[in-house]
Amino acid sequence: MRSPARRTTWAVALSATLFLTACGGGDDGGDKATGPIVVGISLPLTGDFSEPGKGVQEGYEAWAKITNDKGGLLGRQIELKILDDQSNADRVVADYEQLIGSDQVDLVVGPFSTRLVVPSARVAQEYGMLFVEPAGAAAEVFNQGFKNLFYAAPAVADDHYNHLAEYLLALPAGQKPTTVAYAAMDDPFAQGTAYGLKKKLEAGGVKTVVDEVYPPNTTDFGSIAAKIAAAKPDMVVGGSQYQDGVNLIVALQQLNYQPKLAAFSTAPTNPEFAKAIGNKTEGILSPTGYSQDAPYASNKEFVEKFKAQFGQAPEEDQANGYTTGQVVGAAVEAAGCAEQGECQQKLIDWLHSNTVETVVGPLKWDATGKPQGAHMIQQWVGDDIKIVLPADAKEADLVYPKPAW
Amino acid sequence: MLVFQSVILGLLLGGLYALLAAGLTLYFGIMRVVMIAHSAFLILAAYLAWWTNERLGIDPLLSLVVTVPLFFGAGVLLQRGLLSRLRPATLTMMSVLITFAIALIIEGLLGYAFSGTQRRIQLGYGTASFDLFGARVAVVKLIAFGLAVVSLAGLYLLMKRTQFGWALRATIQHQDAARLVGIDTERTAGFGFGLGLATAAVGGTALSLDTTIYPSLHWHWIGPLMAIIVVGGLGSVPGAAAAALVLGLAQSLLQIPMGATWAQTVFYVALFATLAVRPQGFFGGRLAQRF
Amino acid sequence: MPNASKSLLSYGVPALVLVAAIAVFPSLAPNPYILSSGVIVLNWAVLATAWNFVGGFTGYISLGHGALAGLGGYATGLLITKADLPSFVALIAAAVLVAALAVPIGFAALRVRGASFVIVSIALVLILLLVFQSWSSLTGGSRGLVVPRPFPGMLRPEHHRVFFFLYGGLLLIALATWWLLDRSRFGMGLKAIREDEDKAESLGTPTFAYKLTVFVISAAFTALAGGLYALWFGDLDPVFQFSVLTGSYVVLMALLGGVRNLYGPVLGAIVVGIALEYFKVEFGNTPLHLVTTGLLLGLVVMFMPDGVIPSLTTLVQRLRKREDSSIREMSAADLAEQRREREAANS
Repeated sequence: MRSPARRTTWAVALSATLFLTACGGGDDGGDKATGPIVVGISLPLTGDFSEPGKGVQEGYEAWAKITNDKGGLLGRQIELKILDDQSNADRVVADYEQLIGSDQVDLVVGPFSTRLVVPSARVAQEYGMLFVEPAGAAAEVFNQGFKNLFYAAPAVADDHYNHLAEYLLALPAGQKPTTVAYAAMDDPFAQGTAYGLKKKLEAGGVKTVVDEVYPPNTTDFGSIAAKIAAAKPDMVVGGSQYQDGVNLIVALQQLNYQPKLAAFSTAPTNPEFAKAIGNKTEGILSPTGYSQDAPYASNKEFVEKFKAQFGQAPEEDQANGYTTGQVVGAAVEAAGCAEQGECQQKLIDWLHSNTVETVVGPLKWDATGKPQGAHMIQQWVGDDIKIVLPADAKEADLVYPKPAW
Repeated sequence: MLVFQSVILGLLLGGLYALLAAGLTLYFGIMRVVMIAHSAFLILAAYLAWWTNERLGIDPLLSLVVTVPLFFGAGVLLQRGLLSRLRPATLTMMSVLITFAIALIIEGLLGYAFSGTQRRIQLGYGTASFDLFGARVAVVKLIAFGLAVVSLAGLYLLMKRTQFGWALRATIQHQDAARLVGIDTERTAGFGFGLGLATAAVGGTALSLDTTIYPSLHWHWIGPLMAIIVVGGLGSVPGAAAAALVLGLAQSLLQIPMGATWAQTVFYVALFATLAVRPQGFFGGRLAQRF
Repeated sequence: MPNASKSLLSYGVPALVLVAAIAVFPSLAPNPYILSSGVIVLNWAVLATAWNFVGGFTGYISLGHGALAGLGGYATGLLITKADLPSFVALIAAAVLVAALAVPIGFAALRVRGASFVIVSIALVLILLLVFQSWSSLTGGSRGLVVPRPFPGMLRPEHHRVFFFLYGGLLLIALATWWLLDRSRFGMGLKAIREDEDKAESLGTPTFAYKLTVFVISAAFTALAGGLYALWFGDLDPVFQFSVLTGSYVVLMALLGGVRNLYGPVLGAIVVGIALEYFKVEFGNTPLHLVTTGLLLGLVVMFMPDGVIPSLTTLVQRLRKREDSSIREMSAADLAEQRREREAANS
């Protein structure tokens, strides 16, 4: 009597063999010293973070094109190898595993979204690779003990509002806001911005009246807004990414709540923002790490060539990707090498002891890879968003209290 | 004041839950099928409404003219083409898997067509609101609630007052007996499914007016909806509506002390409590015990 | 004795092949990436086999096993970080904890049949996602939980190799347990539940106790796989640990390979696991993998609910014009249906 189990025997044996042979085909590099420098990247091109992911991708592509047009790095052309991590931590690790182990890329640079940075930086660390990243702004990225990690932006999330905190605390007693409501996404970056400001304002004696944290997939902000509106605080601070910020603002406006000051991270700097909330943007504040008008030497070139390549001006995500490229490029030029192995340590050592000029200004890092700077503060004035802080970079004066929205 | 505001918000939300849960429980009544893809169709309808508004520039409510008949047809097809072909012995389990597969396909196709980016309809009256005894009521939320109430009332009248409704209720109560008195139960079941899916079209359009949508959002909805139909008693449309209002209200009120995330657990606590204490549900429905 | 030789052939030979494949794979893998994919496939194989304790024996289809794996992972990670247990002690303790937790879960879920069971299993995933996202003081919330490395300082390729063997060992233990259960009186009782629960109960099988016991065993193995994953992977995030997709992949694997066969889920895991990796490499930047999974699941459910291997076997046998009724295990409902078909054909 034949049994189905016996056929399974052969099926298992067969598929095991197939598996082994399927895995056999690795690829065998090329000329290491003269061929292109392959830079491996994993980005969220689908999933929750696909929009900023694509922005960072454009930044990387602009960097590769602009550098290649000028003759490349060390005379070698740059070739990007970008994989999609579907905004998924399992995938991001598998991606870097594939890039480093299987594709034998020469350099790796970071993914988008803070929560993906830690797993991927660990892969890079355990393969002894340099890891410069455009989006790991939260404090916990820097206390994991990574020695290979560098954040290519002016400041970590907690320091984004430093200029605003200074400004508010310096106001005379009668004008200083006395009560603040905070609502932050449970995301290391978004929450970091709001809580960085909260810590500083609380230390300055400003009372916290609402402190709400919502998960990333929240879509109904009605009750959070109701709570904020009922507490009638002078100021509302949103630790937001994009859509949640829009939703929260709309929900607040539906309740007709008029604060003296409203600050939201990320969302207000998005080009779609004004349209998304029906142009009721009046007076909304936002920190930003990048401005198209910033006076740094490489920035003019970047904005100009980026426009030529993509037909629109670069935003913060694009600038972050580009900056990451600039940092890695500077290290490669200085160390004179770009491949896996001992070279990586040379690159890491160089970055630990030098300053790099980028489109967001000069960057340098402490031993944990944390950048030493603060973000500019922008405000919606009329139908445009303008830099209002710090004083030496401002395009307009901060309007406080803000007009009704 | 905050409590009153939350009651208003809870009722507005509960109305939408009620409509969607009515559809879900209808499928169960007809075929003992748990239709996991119900909320995926909901999100699909919301995307179609968004797309109508974005591309054609017309009011998203107009998309109902297309989506309701479309979804009705899809429901009939789904029942006739797939679910009725499954083996009766394993129908309940396998129908869950097949509708689960449909949900995955819809989610994947939505992601492919519109990307994973969160979308939101931008309406001129999106932030408009009016005052009701000191609480603010957003116009869009009221429209969504109105849609839900009108559709539920329509569904109720259809089931109580028409020949088809009579046949449908007979099919739900006792399929064999219904066949004996001359009802074409298979056709009725197909139309019943169409009706259920049409509620998803209305619900999705209502939903799209005031929330952000993204392809994987349907998981966010199916959990509460399933909890509602179990609490309400599987297969009972009035039970589902009552449970929806109670749980929607509870969620909204619990958000005040507990915060948004913990408040959502009220659905699952109610689900587990119902199964442990009274598996047949709290608002009628005698079907659950056996299935 | 023909029976013994048949048993040896159908269980022993694949076991040898499997052991051999696990033993040699790490040295044949051309690079660490392939090795890490191997670890992932073995993880799926353990999960699918663990799932099959419930799915295969009792016919109850759980879409919520991803939650049990996630619980195992988080329990392991938290026991290491908060209770300072050594990594592998934490792994075992976590499995025991999850097994204990499976008792009340199973109590609520298994009281009801069919639809409600599936609802509860999906709800379990969704509720745990909420809890682990919200209870951030304990779990780290959406920021995730970093699980310390069990072998600090070990280089990555070596790390993969060690975990490949750990997973291989776990898989063999799970398979051996399934095999033992399958031959026991307990296993017979469970299969009676699958074929006709009411009849089994009236014949004196304590169905509820049986279902609960096998659910707890299944939960323990699932938790072990999840815990091992936490140790291997190092980062836990509620969104990925408590994903409905995990459970659906497992169901797809088990159904595809065939739930009534010891090696069915393993085979399904190898096929689907490799396919997942392959799709990712080929079509990585589209959400079409969801569509593919959905289509595949739909096809399997519609056309071969017993699994590909049994279906193909039946097909081959039909082509050879052999009577197959004595080979496949038939449920009462199958027989009834056959009868109906015959009657329909005769009338």
